[in-house]
Amino acid sequence: MHLSGYPHRASRTLTGLVGLVATGILLTGCTTAESPEATEPITGGTLTYASGDAEPTCLDPHVGGNYPQALVGSQYLESLVSRDADGAIIPWLADSWTESADGLAWDFTLAADVNFTDGTPLDAAAVQANIAHLQDPETGSSTGYLALAKVTGTEAVSANVVRLRLSEPDSALLESLSQPWLAIESPTALARSQDENCASPVGTGPFQVEKWVQQDSITLVRNENYNSPPEDAAHTGPAYLDSIVWRFIPDSASRYAALQSGDADVIDNAQPDTIVQAEASDTIVHLDAPRPGASNRIELNSGRAPFDDPLVREAFIRSANVDDAVTSLFQGTAERSYSALSSAEPLAVSAPDLFGYDPEAASDLLDSAGWTERDSGGYRVKDGERLTVEFPVSTNQSIPAEQSLFEQIQATAKETGFEVVLSPMDLSSWYTALGESNYDAVSAPYTKVGPDVLRILFHSDGITPAPSGYFANHAQVDDPAIDALLTQAGRVTDADTRAALYTDAQNTVLEGFYILPLFDQQNHYLLGSDVVGARALPTVSTPTFYDAWLK
Amino acid sequence: MSDLEIQAGLGRSPRANRQHRPPRRFGVAEALAGLFTIFLVTAALFPALVAPGDPLGIDPLSAFQSPSPAHWFGTDESGRDIYTRVSHGTGSSLLIGTVATLIGLGLGLVLGTLAGMLGPIVDFTVNRFLEVLFAFPGLLLALLFILIFGPGVATATVAVGLATAPGYARIIRGQLLSVRSSAFVEAATVLGRSPGQILVRHILPNTLAPLFVLGTLGIGQAIVWASALSYLGLGAAPPAAEWGAMLSAGRTYIGSAWWMSFFPGLFIVLTAVSATALGRGIERRLRHA
Repeated sequence: MHLSGYPHRASRTLTGLVGLVATGILLTGCTTAESPEATEPITGGTLTYASGDAEPTCLDPHVGGNYPQALVGSQYLESLVSRDADGAIIPWLADSWTESADGLAWDFTLAADVNFTDGTPLDAAAVQANIAHLQDPETGSSTGYLALAKVTGTEAVSANVVRLRLSEPDSALLESLSQPWLAIESPTALARSQDENCASPVGTGPFQVEKWVQQDSITLVRNENYNSPPEDAAHTGPAYLDSIVWRFIPDSASRYAALQSGDADVIDNAQPDTIVQAEASDTIVHLDAPRPGASNRIELNSGRAPFDDPLVREAFIRSANVDDAVTSLFQGTAERSYSALSSAEPLAVSAPDLFGYDPEAASDLLDSAGWTERDSGGYRVKDGERLTVEFPVSTNQSIPAEQSLFEQIQATAKETGFEVVLSPMDLSSWYTALGESNYDAVSAPYTKVGPDVLRILFHSDGITPAPSGYFANHAQVDDPAIDALLTQAGRVTDADTRAALYTDAQNTVLEGFYILPLFDQQNHYLLGSDVVGARALPTVSTPTFYDAWLK
Repeated sequence: MSDLEIQAGLGRSPRANRQHRPPRRFGVAEALAGLFTIFLVTAALFPALVAPGDPLGIDPLSAFQSPSPAHWFGTDESGRDIYTRVSHGTGSSLLIGTVATLIGLGLGLVLGTLAGMLGPIVDFTVNRFLEVLFAFPGLLLALLFILIFGPGVATATVAVGLATAPGYARIIRGQLLSVRSSAFVEAATVLGRSPGQILVRHILPNTLAPLFVLGTLGIGQAIVWASALSYLGLGAAPPAAEWGAMLSAGRTYIGSAWWMSFFPGLFIVLTAVSATALGRGIERRLRHA
């Protein structure tokens, strides 16, 4: 009995164990399969981000100020304010703010106990140093510089209250300050040489720049002392990820292949065909995050012939078959735009009637503009000059689908008699061509929070280059009526009056045929399904990985 | 063979000796290469004959169609017919290949003749110069040239020609030296022919014949290089119907529309292979002649 009891007990134990294990397997199976979100965030791991945008030449978005800088800068820099998903301004590095009765002074109270990652405390003097840095011509800022056009001075009211003084009321000030190009950096770090600060800018963000191997990658590591998430973040304290490796893969097919193979966890600038594939797959998640600011459009240089003639501008716009091109190339991932503003902007005015494809009307317009003859190539000629449109294309800023869209516009405009010369070039050659005003048509994305982007793009002040040499009014619109509307809109705080003024300004721009709106400003991220909690900041839709973790 | 015949044979170069050519049939590879070349030449000279459509004509609503009876090679992202574009691209590709090879051969001939004919000092100088050029891979030389003179079809053609010249120069120099010291040249000298006669009647024909083979082989390579430059965005600009540029445009859609890059790629490969097969065939015949 004693002897036989052992096997019995052993077998019972074994059965119990097997049962337990089986239940365990079943339970785990259930939890992972049915509610993946229920699992606790895991701390640790490295996320690899593969960007299709140009590699920045400077990691400090104060310098110049383009979207590639904003993408990576959002990981280690933070702004005074942010926006929530509804577009309302929310506190970030500033806890609260007040505007003076005349609108000429704004006081910002800064969050307490926040330090930059080099140990420097965030205080009023730090904010003053940042405004001064942005406005210093030596910095070469364009985006931040233009956004601060009305700021004439700063003062430290107390250690943690900073006052901005304005030349005139600025209804767009908070929207401007929410952008990554106006992020607050450590004044200690800013005091270094520009080269040093470009290589390793120092902010208060959830990650900090560890090293930058140019032409390869930027390594960002967790800020262990992080305590300043925006109000709409999902948690407090340091980020979950140990580090982020920020890579640059300009070729869109290689970038998507890297995501499929697991070499990258997140990619940006996804091509329409890969978005369609991703939506059908269950291993890749699509994050659609339209950028605020301008729509994607072609700007016609009204500052020189042939587009100094409004008839020729209208003829060009009528000669371009954009609808069919957008349908075929974007495969449902982008809508045709008839507006100067992104659909993310509530005040966007859409005018489909002005931008329809009508080759006959285009032909008549060219006839009345005096371009009556055609040469052997079928192009219109006037006084021995061929009707040529120089169109430099930045291969860094335009995805291949967009470049094909330009080719289709080239083909349809040819039927009317326009010779569109597409010149693909890298970003620096493209900036040079714009700087020398050596273009008739150009497509340049411009991202800014709020309708104030209209002032940047269409006010005649925008023809004068910023300290960086960049000017944003590529259509070279120089119309006192538009200037007056935009200046007035930038001053008034009453929402209805402001909306009416921006509507008038947009209508005048659209009816002047300065731009050919193409499609809504696109921003598509594709994420591996192991990435949880990543989102786009509701300011300019750059990604943030503060709440993100890897399964 | 009598003594007299041997003597006569010695006095005449192999090139001039025409009565003993063995009859040879075309191999399958050569026949196929020949047929494909005839197609290419037709497409280059009369593109409308093989593909009547417009290579730049867009039709956005029939974009991304896979190969079908209506579109043999499918359509691209703007609905342009790939077969039409590939056929119309033949002219520019063949022209680039031929002109680049002629530039390479011409330069090579000048440098090679200088080195091979004008004595040791010139030979030494030209050789050191060629060695410097050889230190750079051919494509890098072409890239350097484009960096200086800017991208475009014309510069890409000259760049490829320049990049291939050193190789030709070295081969021509070697050929000249070996022909100059060969028995039949010595015999002609002994028989009292003038140096000019020897150069024209014996040395040049025996140097230039292999050049024809080299040139045929070189066209294939030049087309591949020119396509590579266009692929990198340094040659023909979009939307030109050029094979390398088409290959590059198709790369973006390789996951969803394979035909956009497959057919231009296939034509580049087939053209290079055909040129090589024909070149080798001519070479064999010359050796047996």
